[in-house]
Amino acid sequence: MSDALKGRILVVDDDENAVEILTRMLAREGHVSISAASGAQALETLQHENVDVILLDVMMPGMDGLEVCRKMRADERLRQIPVILLTAKDDLDTRARAMELGVSEFLTKPVNRRELFTRIDAQLHARNLSRELSATVEKVLQPDSKTEGD
Amino acid sequence: MEPHIVKGNHPVMEKIFQICDRVAPTDSTVLIQGESGTGKELVARYIHARSRRANNPFIAVNCGAIPADLLESEMFGHEKGAFTGAVAARMGLFQYANGGTIFLDEIGEMPPALQVKLLRVLQEREIRPVGADRTVRVDVRVIAATNRDLSADVKSGRFREDLFYRLQVIPITIPPLRERRSDIPLFVQYFLDKHNSQRPGQPVRISDEAMVHLWEYDWPGNVRELENLIERLVILSEDGVIRVENLPPNIRTFISDKKIPRPTLTDEGIDLNRAVEEFEYRLIDEALRRTKGNKQAAARLLGLKRTTLVAKLRRKANSSDQGCVL
Repeated sequence: MSDALKGRILVVDDDENAVEILTRMLAREGHVSISAASGAQALETLQHENVDVILLDVMMPGMDGLEVCRKMRADERLRQIPVILLTAKDDLDTRARAMELGVSEFLTKPVNRRELFTRIDAQLHARNLSRELSATVEKVLQPDSKTEGD
Repeated sequence: MEPHIVKGNHPVMEKIFQICDRVAPTDSTVLIQGESGTGKELVARYIHARSRRANNPFIAVNCGAIPADLLESEMFGHEKGAFTGAVAARMGLFQYANGGTIFLDEIGEMPPALQVKLLRVLQEREIRPVGADRTVRVDVRVIAATNRDLSADVKSGRFREDLFYRLQVIPITIPPLRERRSDIPLFVQYFLDKHNSQRPGQPVRISDEAMVHLWEYDWPGNVRELENLIERLVILSEDGVIRVENLPPNIRTFISDKKIPRPTLTDEGIDLNRAVEEFEYRLIDEALRRTKGNKQAAARLLGLKRTTLVAKLRRKANSSDQGCVL
């Protein structure tokens, strides 16, 4: 994997075993991961950590994954972070709610490894693109920008 | 006239249109990159429509669709007798675009000899028709587009470095639809409204389940593929509702394929044992899920003895972090 597609990934799951497996898989692909064992802890973590992608379980005690998404969407700072939902609950209602909440990807457990990394790479690619565009925005917004008289 | 364009809500698209709005009034050359069907020409038309050139021509040229030996005379025109068949002098597309914008699509397909001439046009703002001993001044804004990785083409020597930097004064890369999936429902509704308005009768709507399938599909042909499908579905709709069963088979099965992808044999080959193991584990997981973890019932669903299933589960546990499932 190219360096450009390495990211800082937040893994949110109440199942310690799942977190451990994901963390190990992510490390093997060169990603840095941090974890949270609940929705509330994930939101708390996001207050002081910058992450590129969130791998979020849906079914967790207390605040479920969809509720975490809803709270993230209401927060200007968090709404742009791509969320990949991982869930064994793949009924239409859950999928439709995920779609309405602007989730980036929806993967059903058991999650296929190749699918998971394809989806993570796509989000990291979009992150890189966003950075490039931000640089162009800065360039064109400069008052003495070359574009003015070019 | 400004093209009808649905911008999307994705933050990347917001940045793209912020750039477009800022550069439209200038004469800067813009290089738009993105996969086929992402809407590169629409973005170019948007920039043109918001520029001081809006009332002048917008000429689109597909550099990959015109034979290499004809492209130069198409772009710059030719003199009478410049080559066999040139029975009269003819203006080129740059002259037709004078005062306006020329959109050079698939710029990566432009032959090297012509790349040099385009560079000269960008530097000198003048063209030389084929067979002419004079140059003609032109006032044309150039917007180029490609679905190739032009920087890689520069590295491999396929595309001139000086032209690349001259073109990408303002670089814009449009992400594929699968990287901004949250915009898909917006596009679906936009194209439904658009194609409903072009036909009489009750508007066609889409079921929630069908919408979810469109949202999860990867759209290799991007926005163009999505619009073509919605147009076809609207035309073919019999009862005014688009349901999952009306969707093409590749979209209908996409969600289940995502869970258990079809094995594909690439040029690099495949590890058959691993692929078979992966498939086996998926079915075991599915059986355990359906039977809420009851191994006896799961074994029965799979046509296995309980002891065989337990042995397979033990093997799976040992390799779970390397394999396909979690």
